[in-house]
Amino acid sequence: MDELLEQFLVEGRELVAAAHEALAVLTGDPANADAVDRAFRAFHTLKGSVTLFDLKPAEHILHAGEDLLDRARKGAAGLSSGDIARLIAILDQIDRWIDALEREGEIEAGAAGIAERLLIGAPRAQAITPADDEQQASTPAEPWLAALLERRAAVVAQGEDALVAFRYAPDRDAFFRGEDPLALVGGVPGLIALDILPPDGHWPAADAIEPFECGMVIEGVSAATPDALRQSFRLVPDQVRFHSLAARAQPAKGDDSGLPLAASVLRVDARRVDALADDVGELIVAANAFAPLGDRAEALDAGFALDIRAAQAGLERAVGRLSRSVSAVRLISLAPTLARLPRMVREIADGLGKPVDFAVSGEQVEVDKQIADGLFEPLLHLVRNAIDHGIEDAATRARSGKPANGQLALAVARDGDDILMSLSDDGAGIDRARVRDVAVARGLIEREAADALSDAGTLALIFAPGFSTAAAVTGVSGRGVGMDAVQAAVERLRGGVEIESVPGHGTRFQLRLPANAITTRLLVVEVARDRYGVPFDQISETVRVGADRLIPLGTGTACVLRDRTVPVLSLAGLLGMADDGGFPAKLLVTRAGGEPVALRVDGFHERLDAMVRPPSGLLAGLPMVRGTTVTGDGAVLLVLNISELVA
Amino acid sequence: MSVRIAGSTIHVEGNGLVEDAEPILVALQADPKRIVDLSRAAKLHSATIRLLLALRPRIVGAPSDPFQAEHVAPLLISNGDGPVPFG
Repeated sequence: MDELLEQFLVEGRELVAAAHEALAVLTGDPANADAVDRAFRAFHTLKGSVTLFDLKPAEHILHAGEDLLDRARKGAAGLSSGDIARLIAILDQIDRWIDALEREGEIEAGAAGIAERLLIGAPRAQAITPADDEQQASTPAEPWLAALLERRAAVVAQGEDALVAFRYAPDRDAFFRGEDPLALVGGVPGLIALDILPPDGHWPAADAIEPFECGMVIEGVSAATPDALRQSFRLVPDQVRFHSLAARAQPAKGDDSGLPLAASVLRVDARRVDALADDVGELIVAANAFAPLGDRAEALDAGFALDIRAAQAGLERAVGRLSRSVSAVRLISLAPTLARLPRMVREIADGLGKPVDFAVSGEQVEVDKQIADGLFEPLLHLVRNAIDHGIEDAATRARSGKPANGQLALAVARDGDDILMSLSDDGAGIDRARVRDVAVARGLIEREAADALSDAGTLALIFAPGFSTAAAVTGVSGRGVGMDAVQAAVERLRGGVEIESVPGHGTRFQLRLPANAITTRLLVVEVARDRYGVPFDQISETVRVGADRLIPLGTGTACVLRDRTVPVLSLAGLLGMADDGGFPAKLLVTRAGGEPVALRVDGFHERLDAMVRPPSGLLAGLPMVRGTTVTGDGAVLLVLNISELVA
Repeated sequence: MSVRIAGSTIHVEGNGLVEDAEPILVALQADPKRIVDLSRAAKLHSATIRLLLALRPRIVGAPSDPFQAEHVAPLLISNGDGPVPFG
């Protein structure tokens, strides 16, 4: 892909997200000058970046949005809720076009028409001509800033670090409210320049001055961070404006310097980081080779073995640190991924005619890039499902005394090495009896077995391939892709899904996903004299049981574990081989469709952290193979996907 | 704070309050050539500072508050070539 376009896909989405964030603030506080500024800058920069591509319609609507924000910024007119809705609609459309650019390399033929419709009723945007654009680019965004930078050019030019310019215009009646604006400014950290100016260009004459009127504007430049400054002015946010100045900025280029202070951020092609992670994985494997060496040395020379072990420990520590550093590089905030969801929710809700309030929390949680990339699809599917099948129509909601708007919330939280994502709706909940009936009707399960299922087992049926409870296939869900796709996607990310549902009150899907994904913890098991790796995240427990505890059950075998009868399958049998049948029997307990299943193996061996490569070649066609890894002694270990084996 | 008028000098002392602005204004309206002595002032109120910026009397001394001494006092005494107001 064209490098420019690739960069635009990333930065464009970031700008859309930044603008959305500012608009979210403005929804609650339409006069927030800082948010208006941030939104304006995002629109302005977006407009600038779309001109690099052939995106006239995008340029037009962004120009209209920029215009609207500019008026609000100059105080000519505040933003009405209608304005904010229009700005959100513009951003949503830009986001859609960015998606289209990524998919097809161009935006659809009807784009100009879409832009026209979005612009109907918008304050008249000036026609865009190249001359206009140039003029706009060379005019600093804010006159006060240009004047301040000119007055204080010397200090600003000396600043090694990024600076923030501020303009604080206290209300005229501030003194009557007991405020002392300069005392507030005295608390500003890192102040390097200060000016106190008359608000309308000249101080009143001695015989006209009103001593208790707070007619003054305080402008300054600080070397503190924008956040520290916002903190200082937190009590008067509506009276202050900020402008970030990049380190050693050209004073007159006020507009360029308005970009986020991110001079030390390096954008690296994700593939390079992936390659680095692969190499670290190989290094971990290579380091694992020391353990058996130590064992062999032990037999020859205890002192030599000790030295090897010491060297091994040192190497492992260093490799561990390296692995953590590389993992940290791959960690990205979920915010850009999740920023696309609100728009999707609006579209789905509009399509179904069900108004929905959608709240996202914890989107700053950082996860491995692979997880962030992989979770959007399953999450979107769950969101669709919640709006389509969970949230009731308006009439039903009214009868149950629920608010007219369906409530949908996504909460992300870090839990140790995992992240938890909960998607809760306040809809109808899942009707268990109906789930069982449908599963039986679709031939997914026998009636008897269905009625014997536990609550969790019943709920897990909705993930069975071919299951869909919607009586009518709607345009939104049920296009042949069921919830089984969600489970498959989450399992590919080595995660799991749990469902909680209270009939009449709502449903909560909880995804548990690993935050880091470079190495996988494996248990090496022996089956028919071969060794296989089994991912730890698929193992509930390992147990050794005597012959007396294995009970024949029908044609198979079962075992009572923690007061539950658990079917026992032979892993060798599943792989088309024979196990040795020795006792005590070694059982590896996993879950299939929410129910525990024990797999009998011939032996448990070491645990290892390994880089699992996706299966390739012939193996790629076998769903029970998750991948391969190289063990310390150089042998290739097949890593099994046991949930697939027992399904 | 106290504002004390002694002949041609207005002595401003201690920590300032918004009320200080009025006696200073009255004294300067009566005689614009009066000198404002800030050498015993700790911290001036914004209202006082605004007044001094607008009327530009001759200033002696500076408030002891570090912020005001460093950033505000220079504005009060930079007569003539002070900040050029934007307009």
